[in-house]
Amino acid sequence: MDLKWVYWGIDVLAIVLVVRSLYREKSLREQFVAAMVLVPLLLRAFFIK
Amino acid sequence: MFEKKNKASRITATAMLLAAVAVAAVSARSYLEMRSPPPGVDRVVPHKGFVKKHLSDYFDGIRDTPADTDVYIQTGAEPGGTVLVLGGTHANEPAGVIAAVVMLERAEVKRGRLIIVPFANMMGRSHTFPQDAHPQTFSFTTASGERRTFRYGSRTTNPVYEWPNPDIYIHPASGQTMAGVERSNLNRTHPGVVDGSITERLAYGFMQLIKTEKVDMAIDLHEASPEYPVVEALVAHENAMELAAIVTMELEFEGIPMRLEPSPVNLRGLDHREWGDNADVLAILLETSNPSAGRFRGKTDEALILTGKDKAYQKASELGRLYVPYEGGSEPIAKRVARHVTAVQLLADNLELVREGKGVTIEGLPGFGELTTNGVGAYLSD
Repeated sequence: MDLKWVYWGIDVLAIVLVVRSLYREKSLREQFVAAMVLVPLLLRAFFIK
Repeated sequence: MFEKKNKASRITATAMLLAAVAVAAVSARSYLEMRSPPPGVDRVVPHKGFVKKHLSDYFDGIRDTPADTDVYIQTGAEPGGTVLVLGGTHANEPAGVIAAVVMLERAEVKRGRLIIVPFANMMGRSHTFPQDAHPQTFSFTTASGERRTFRYGSRTTNPVYEWPNPDIYIHPASGQTMAGVERSNLNRTHPGVVDGSITERLAYGFMQLIKTEKVDMAIDLHEASPEYPVVEALVAHENAMELAAIVTMELEFEGIPMRLEPSPVNLRGLDHREWGDNADVLAILLETSNPSAGRFRGKTDEALILTGKDKAYQKASELGRLYVPYEGGSEPIAKRVARHVTAVQLLADNLELVREGKGVTIEGLPGFGELTTNGVGAYLSD
């Protein structure tokens, strides 16, 4: 079974949750942390093959 | 700057989001370029007489896959033995790759056959190892001023071709257990598996090449960290030990220090063990000292790859923590390539002594002094 779409789905779910947190955070510091977490998640979405 | 009292807003969140997307896009583009490098990167100019084949000509199981790689064969006028030289089993060991390329572009075979595979694991060339901060390419300038650029890859196959790895890799031929990542390490998967993972199939392809071409001596070119015990070394299967001892002494006579290491019987999956056990071939592995792959290194850039100059290694050397001399605080790639080329030349020169009628005569290769004096670029074609 090709697990590619399962990995991709998990990654996209994580991106959605982090973006949601990014908009809910009340401090710039926490927003910055959320943005940093997003980078590897976006890269992973890009590279899952 | 980012104290909690600073109130965030939707505008700052959007700005952060856009910044994250921009950073990811730039990084992704840079990494994707390694998978499809621009024209000219990793270009080779084989010396006349070399015939190009593919590893998939020996094992169809890797045809049209990213594992397939070019195999160059030159046959001399006089019959003799067959020597196989591999570079790039580990794509983060650049002297092995470049020594194979120099031999491919300079060798004139007078007797026997020379087979060269400059990029043994193509799947290791399309990425660098996460968090190692290695540059993705490095370059040389040829005698006429042309730039020759090569990729600096990783020790293992790119996970996009083979992922996820198991927690523990069980070497199929022996049952020996290793760290899971070793399933993607070409030099832990020999003699390969006909229907295994892509790296195991690549290893199987090399085994078929050795058997089909009746290779008499197979040499794999590597590099290791200066703090690793097996460095500036020649590792030989027991059936190649006599030849390896002769060549080690000759290298020492020429002022090139070389350790002679027996291939461990109980360390499976390595080419010098599996090739020798599974075929009638003298299996040898060569190691030079490469600070750019070491754990002590500081700033990791193209200069470190080319010069091997590093303050942390200088300090480690002064403290006696290295297994090899670190003269002048550097270990230039020209010297490392010269060690490989000289050792291969001597191994071929002496092959006749241990395999009667199977000698191989190679001319045109630069000597140790020439390479270290003139640099690698002087021996690369335009």
